[in-house]
Amino acid sequence: MSRHYSEEDLILYYYEERPRSAGIQQHLDSCGQCAAVYRDLVATLKLVATPEAPDRGDQYGLEVWQRIRHQLPEQEMPWWSAWFRADRLALAGAFTVLLLAAFVAGRWWSATNAPAPTVASVAAPAPSPAAANDESRQRILLTSVADHLDRSERVLTDFMNAPAGGDLSAEQRWAEDLVVTSRLYRQDAVQSGEASVALVLDELERSLLEIVHTPSRATAARLDEIRRRIDAASLLFKVRVLGNELRQREDPQGSRPRALATQTS
Amino acid sequence: MDATEVAAVLARARLGDSEAFRTLVERHSRRAFQLAYRMTGNEQDAEDVVQESFIRAYRQLSRFEARAHFSTWLHRIVANCSVDLIRSRRARYDHTSTDDLGPVDQPEADVPNPERLAASAQIERKVAAAMSELSPLERAAFTLRHYEGRSIAEIGRTLGLGTSATKHSVFRAVRKLRAALEPLRGES
Repeated sequence: MSRHYSEEDLILYYYEERPRSAGIQQHLDSCGQCAAVYRDLVATLKLVATPEAPDRGDQYGLEVWQRIRHQLPEQEMPWWSAWFRADRLALAGAFTVLLLAAFVAGRWWSATNAPAPTVASVAAPAPSPAAANDESRQRILLTSVADHLDRSERVLTDFMNAPAGGDLSAEQRWAEDLVVTSRLYRQDAVQSGEASVALVLDELERSLLEIVHTPSRATAARLDEIRRRIDAASLLFKVRVLGNELRQREDPQGSRPRALATQTS
Repeated sequence: MDATEVAAVLARARLGDSEAFRTLVERHSRRAFQLAYRMTGNEQDAEDVVQESFIRAYRQLSRFEARAHFSTWLHRIVANCSVDLIRSRRARYDHTSTDDLGPVDQPEADVPNPERLAASAQIERKVAAAMSELSPLERAAFTLRHYEGRSIAEIGRTLGLGTSATKHSVFRAVRKLRAALEPLRGES
């Protein structure tokens, strides 16, 4: 007689998940011990009948829609489609104008202040316009994100310290404005390969959305629940540290006063 | 609604058209509720899962691949929302001990009579209690295998588990159910 089958083999056999099940069937026909285990297994699983879900009428889909329609969040859009929306196009236009202005100003500044070219400087390869554009774009992004993080930190701090039962509508309006900006910066960060920035912005966006969708006079329990999530993610800390880091990258010489250096932690 | 219309609705929903998404909600809610009910074993929890699943689906529509079936994708979301909900609420439920439920009389007659109906209700209660003792993943894997008839490979894809982990979740679930329902078998 061949070896006995394990309970696991028999479970897979019952659910027809086992190849070569004919071998098991033959074994069960000839082995009383395995056949008894299998009968016991089948008896148990037959007791577990599929529960009948309470009936939901034809209008159920509509009822679900009515319940969720006002809770629908912003969709996570693919980055390319985001730029085809009117507000995005306007922002992209403004961004282009800013880049052009920076480029023209840079050329003018270089022309009026540059020392006479030396042999070495003439021989050195000049950065390509594309590289210069990328660098400018990166710097503008860093500055903007750092400012955005400052604003977000203030909203989060206000929210964390708001009294239970108080009116949160001002914080919510502020957070709502920041959600849109946050999403744009996150997409920019992803495109620029700034994965860690994108990650923090993603977390920030979710918490801001949660604040926006909380009732403006939330109960203490609801507030605690959101605050615990923000605390658990160490979001305020991450926002502060990233803001600080971006300021340093933006101005590595420390020639400008750092906004966060003046803040108390 | 034919395949072309479904594709068009999906495309519009992915571009943020909430009316198109409404069509999807109306079309798939009942099936979503049925699955959520089997996964959670509780009507109110199932309602919560359905709502949360559609909200999650709406947020993540850009990740949905047009080649796939929306119902399959939604099924995966409902299953995972159910697991999340069971995890979060598990501590709040008082687990009904199966020890206090003795052997059940199971009359042999085919025609339902009051005794038979009472026995059947008692079996249902004992099964529900035994199911509530499973871990969220064991319960999800078992539900998908036993009630929904999904293959181990499909369950693994749905729950984000490997084949071996999926099988072991089903094995552990069956083992626990056998132990919990032993008294019923003794009388059957």
